[in-house]
Amino acid sequence: MQEAKQAIFEYCKKRGALAAGIASLEACERIAPPGHRPSDLFPRVKSVIAIGVGGQTQGAWQLPAKAMAYSGSTEVRAYKLAYGLAFFIEQKFGAASVYVPPDLDPEGGPRVPLQSLKLHAELAGIGARSLAGDILLHPEYGFMYYASVFTELELEADAPMADNPCPAPSCVSMYRQIGRTPCMKFCPAQCLSGEIDDKGKQKLMRYDMAACAELTQEYEAVPKILAEAVKDEVRSHGAEGLLDPDRKMLWYKVSAGSGAWFAQCFECMRVCPIATKAPQADPILRMKKD
Amino acid sequence: MARGLSREQLGVTDAMLATFGEAVFRMSHNLQLREGDPIRRLDWAEIERQREAMGLADGQIAERLGLTREQVMFIRNSEESRRFRTGQTAYLLDLGGGRRYRPERVVRLEDRFSYSENALRLRAALRFDAEAARRYVERGWWGDDTLPKWLSSHSRTRPDAPALIASQVISWRELEERVLRFAEGLRRAGVARGEVVAVQLPNTPEFIIAFLAICRLGAVMCTLHMPYRGAEIEALTRHSRAKLGICLPSAKNLFNDIGRTFAEIDCSEPLSKDVPGPVAADPFLLLYTSGTTASPKGVPHSYHTMLSNARLGVPEHRLGAADRILSAAPFTHLFGLYALHCAWACGAASVLLPVFSPKDLSETIQEQRPTALWTAPAHIAAVRAQGLFDKHDWSSLKLAIMSGSACPPQLVREFSERLKGCAVTQLWGMTETQGALYTRPGDALEVHCSSAGRPSPGTEVRIVDGELQVRGCLLFPGFFDNDPANAAAFTADGWYRTGDLAAVDAAGNYSITGRVKDIINRGGIKFNPRDVEDLLDSHPKILQSAIVPMPDPILGEKACVFVVLRNKEEEISLDDVVAYLLSKNIAKNKLPERLVVVAEMPLTPTRKIIKSRLRLPDS
Repeated sequence: MQEAKQAIFEYCKKRGALAAGIASLEACERIAPPGHRPSDLFPRVKSVIAIGVGGQTQGAWQLPAKAMAYSGSTEVRAYKLAYGLAFFIEQKFGAASVYVPPDLDPEGGPRVPLQSLKLHAELAGIGARSLAGDILLHPEYGFMYYASVFTELELEADAPMADNPCPAPSCVSMYRQIGRTPCMKFCPAQCLSGEIDDKGKQKLMRYDMAACAELTQEYEAVPKILAEAVKDEVRSHGAEGLLDPDRKMLWYKVSAGSGAWFAQCFECMRVCPIATKAPQADPILRMKKD
Repeated sequence: MARGLSREQLGVTDAMLATFGEAVFRMSHNLQLREGDPIRRLDWAEIERQREAMGLADGQIAERLGLTREQVMFIRNSEESRRFRTGQTAYLLDLGGGRRYRPERVVRLEDRFSYSENALRLRAALRFDAEAARRYVERGWWGDDTLPKWLSSHSRTRPDAPALIASQVISWRELEERVLRFAEGLRRAGVARGEVVAVQLPNTPEFIIAFLAICRLGAVMCTLHMPYRGAEIEALTRHSRAKLGICLPSAKNLFNDIGRTFAEIDCSEPLSKDVPGPVAADPFLLLYTSGTTASPKGVPHSYHTMLSNARLGVPEHRLGAADRILSAAPFTHLFGLYALHCAWACGAASVLLPVFSPKDLSETIQEQRPTALWTAPAHIAAVRAQGLFDKHDWSSLKLAIMSGSACPPQLVREFSERLKGCAVTQLWGMTETQGALYTRPGDALEVHCSSAGRPSPGTEVRIVDGELQVRGCLLFPGFFDNDPANAAAFTADGWYRTGDLAAVDAAGNYSITGRVKDIINRGGIKFNPRDVEDLLDSHPKILQSAIVPMPDPILGEKACVFVVLRNKEEEISLDDVVAYLLSKNIAKNKLPERLVVVAEMPLTPTRKIIKSRLRLPDS
């Protein structure tokens, strides 16, 4: 079991993963709601493998918000790695495996994923929930993109992280002075709030995902715009509003199928000292270490 | 929605949506609360306790509410759609690249660009010919010049250089700071983009700060001449739909409830940098003509028309950043504004003379040593009459631009001789055009004496039936809210009928010879009385003269001359006048046939005679 795990981790590292871990299947099954448990997707699952790849380059953090979402496509790299890993396990160990689709549950509408990749990564010990809307952070690698593989191969589970890197000491210091951390202060949707306890640990995290989504995602814009046009409530005369630049961008995405539905603003991560300044978060520093 | 089932199939009624919508929205992942870090710690009791606060799946919500999962899914999606606002991504556009979100400095996009009905109405008056606009831009005549951009540029590159020289010197940096504070005051007073603010102030720093602050907000300044009182102010503020009137405390009661003093508007906080400034195609001035023959007409100007004319004019006038420009003309008049525009185009300092008097002008020139002077013939005639050239030092001047009314050749000649080393030039312009014709430094004295020079860069002129017509990048787009005036003022091919009579010499220098409306048609023979008036002005007893037509049952029109005597005690008869003119070899059909002596002529603020106000007394 240990050898297989070692081989899997080596494969991941060789293919560019910064971190990999095995989540407790039992915990995943217990925490995820019905319909979203690993066994709901892959009934004979024995192990849940979570991998994390590096997020943004150092330069990317300097981009304007409107360009940040387009600068990485890093999640695609994570998915490719997980896809290859599933083949690797089947070929090397003869155990059925599947790359976990990161997509939304077509029955649930927007914002309901088939599986929570975040939960897998957290339980596998390669990320911990932050005050920034539960985005996972890693003390060494900062902000990563995650992907998962389910396999019938039995692997020993890793433990979640012993410590949560969020909040960083500088954020605690800022919270003590103004009652907010950088992510809370600079969120354009003001969808984050929370509390830090006397020991400098997270006490309460509040995340208004609807407000965040309203600002940073456009998934419902198309029907909304059409509904407004039908009701003649668009902000300009008649159907003119359908052709304004915001809306035309949506038509482009619909027709070209670019898949770039998310315009995540990244402002909370841009100001997060862990996301941008963790020891190995900086790809330039990582290269020096290698 | 859910599994392709309709709302009716799912049994979801309006009442169910209303009842459960809020609960489903809150119980879902839309609002998440997490205490401590229970999942990482695998604290099962806490995970269960907080499960609902962290957000439930539809099936879990269904269990709690006693609905089917499909019903919850439908209700949740409906509720999310109902709450979702489009256009929110606009917030992102200004973030990043060194900028952070701050709630206090967010100006919502819809608030940044909201034009009132009045503002849109004025904007609609800026009718431009698309083909002409393309040509002006391609030739570099029209650019992105705006006054806030010019101010900001000078403040950035030469912060400590003098911008205004009045009782104190104000640097470009200080001027910009004061402008931003006043702009914030205007914003708080409700002034928004495209709205008109009337200004009735003398040539003081307050005028300039108010002007630039109005521009910074993207609003439009309408100047009111200082002599205007209740009736004129009421008419012009009504026609311009002015939001505010900035005036001296003594005049506040003339503006009804829109009057504000400078101090009442001024603010201690600067305008946020997030408030967008104007662009060159925006209107920024609404000026009312000091036309001598008709009631005032509103002339809107964009930065394109005005600032292109000033920018292109600066090298023609040989002005630069080291110059100090003094305007004897009021800033409420276009000629005074032209002095400011030229100064700001090149970064020259403006020397301020609050109100013209011969003595103050002469003293200011000696004390502040301006290098360029914007002046009217009447100003110089008054200075000459009081012998002030000999009393004060005018040697700092290297340029004097004379405009505002016809300039007697002898005055230019004498002024030039007085100021050795100073180019005394003539300029012809109108509120509708700014500087259209001018002589250039370096032209022969005779050109300055006898003509208004050649067209400014980007300006075309032609003479049709004796009348000067203009078009080009400087030309205003049309009168505001006055279709009959526009129909009469423009030819079918876009030339503006100036109403001035002109002639051109072989070298292309134009001279203005009179007004079309002043032409007298005596029995079918038309003549321009201007040369007769010039002769009469040199009569020893006559200070000023003006010839206007009077109706005649046989000939149609005859000439009537109005005169102001130099010495009120003296007398003059029509025979004296006729004899004098005959001695100067004037044709008999041009001789005036009636004489009216008046105490003073009705004058425009730029000291042109308003002939339409000369009334014939009953015989």
